Amino acid sequence: MKFENRKTGLIGEEVALQHLLKKDLQLVSRNFSTRFGEIDLIMRDKGVLVFVEVKTKKGLDFGRPEEMFTRNKYQKVKNMALVYLKGREVKSRIDMVAVVLDELNEPVTVSHYENVTGMDGFQ
Amino acid sequence: MAHVGLTSVAIEVEVDVAEQGFPGFNIVGLAGKAVEEARERVKTAVNNSGLDFPGKKITVNLAPADLPKDGGAYDLPIAIGILTASGQVPHADGLFYGELSLDGSLRATKGVLLVGLFAKGGSIFVPIESANEAAVVEDVTVYPVRNLQELVDHLNNVKEIKRLSHLEIKELVDEAAVDFDLAEVAGQEQAKRALLIAAAGGHNLLMSGPPGAGKTMLARAMPGILPPLSPAEALEVTRIYSVVGLLDPGESLLRRRPFRSPHHGISAAGIIGGGTNPLPGEVSLAHLGVLFLDEMAEFPRPVLESLRQPMEDGVVNIVRVAGHVSYPASFTLLAAVNPCPCGYLGHPRRECKCSEKMIRKYRGRISGPILDRIDLHVRVPAVETEKLSTQPSTLNAQGSKYLREQVINARKIQTERFTEEKIYTNSQMRNKQVKKYCKLDPETERLLRLAVEKHDLSARSYFRLIKVARTIADLEDSSDIAVAHMAEALQYRQQI
Repeated sequence: MKFENRKTGLIGEEVALQHLLKKDLQLVSRNFSTRFGEIDLIMRDKGVLVFVEVKTKKGLDFGRPEEMFTRNKYQKVKNMALVYLKGREVKSRIDMVAVVLDELNEPVTVSHYENVTGMDGFQ
Repeated sequence: MAHVGLTSVAIEVEVDVAEQGFPGFNIVGLAGKAVEEARERVKTAVNNSGLDFPGKKITVNLAPADLPKDGGAYDLPIAIGILTASGQVPHADGLFYGELSLDGSLRATKGVLLVGLFAKGGSIFVPIESANEAAVVEDVTVYPVRNLQELVDHLNNVKEIKRLSHLEIKELVDEAAVDFDLAEVAGQEQAKRALLIAAAGGHNLLMSGPPGAGKTMLARAMPGILPPLSPAEALEVTRIYSVVGLLDPGESLLRRRPFRSPHHGISAAGIIGGGTNPLPGEVSLAHLGVLFLDEMAEFPRPVLESLRQPMEDGVVNIVRVAGHVSYPASFTLLAAVNPCPCGYLGHPRRECKCSEKMIRKYRGRISGPILDRIDLHVRVPAVETEKLSTQPSTLNAQGSKYLREQVINARKIQTERFTEEKIYTNSQMRNKQVKKYCKLDPETERLLRLAVEKHDLSARSYFRLIKVARTIADLEDSSDIAVAHMAEALQYRQQI
């Protein structure tokens, strides 16, 4: 079961990466991780460093991927971004990509939300 | 719709469903905790009603922005706003009010009567269980809503909700239920007479006597001799009960005159009203009815002193940071006390064990200003043995039913007298009205002057005596206040 989720996540990350590359973002790093957590994708968009959190769902039976991006998760990504920057002052933002897969792991929808902030109404 | 005290302010619920942006649901506009949580209720209710909750960025604004909002009543307007903004129902006119339950049905919500009164001339959509409250309001179209699905069908013209027909208040007012007949109380003719006067004119009454003499029983019999509520009075009292949510679900009106008997552990805020958003206290819940304070000397002093203003003015003004609210509080005070801590002072057979100091201290618990505001002081002595018997009482003349008729007649006279004023009873008269409606003949005037001089009565007592005499005259259907009426009124003065 756990392995299944991991697999879904990896497929989702690959789908998200292709989607962002198509949008002319450049890949900087994948799965940057420390013992505190992980950032799925780090990209560069016209001089702005973009930290991307990817959420993948197989089918919508258990809710939309957007709903899984909680305030806590946002805070975690933000903290990880600060760790990555190590105090350097670089123009940066946090994006979120929601991927919905069907039974055969083929992407159904990919939504890219730019610059999500703490003011958004997540749970 | 927000209620500030008994006045209502319309709250506009603006909903924006944005195409762009991270999906979410935000409520702004000084929303309290219960309104914040409307997010979860509305979302779940919409989904469980077979409707589509848009997975977009939703912003709800409650205007005006500076008025704090609390309670579940905003659920329905928020839900309808979201459904309208996402094109699932057409734009509709009217006031929406009600708390949603997770399955999409509407719960009984307090304050519906005030919504009805506010929306005169328009239409309102309210929970079915509370809709009857608004049905007594004239000139308003009330749609009782069972659940969200039904309302959506109604707005889409699929299936209409039948509007509620107007209810006449007159038909709703109940006959008083007599749980205690005054005939059951042995003896105590003087106390019964005082009770009758108190009920007829709405005068304050203090009974003092040893334990077991029947003070509490007499008080319990009081509701049985109170007159029924007039339509105007019923509406006035129901407004207060609607705000607190004390009306039974499905009930449209308070059918009986209130009789409140708070325990002496009550706090000042409990009796006067209070809270961050001030709610009415016991004095307002007893509006146009009776507030019974059993063991009055046991009440904390601040509680008793806080009664001064409402006893004189018939309203309470509560000031809190959130705002200034005034509630009507025109009640009849009925109080019972023991004469001393052990209770047997002045008892014919039992010895009082209290020292003089103890008695003085006990009496000091009820301050002069409060006693001065009580028109009728009556002693309830221990019952003589010969009057106690297990045989049913033969004195039907003292039965509650008979006394109640007398009270109703006296109140009828008062209603006619005060048709031009905004009051109902003699006790509510202001000094100006006393001068207008209570002409004293020289003989009666002389008696009153004599009493005032002899007992050093206050100016307030002077006017209160006239009011009591007026009621006694009304009980005898006499248009003039005669010497005998004034003499009886003087009997009930505070014994010094």
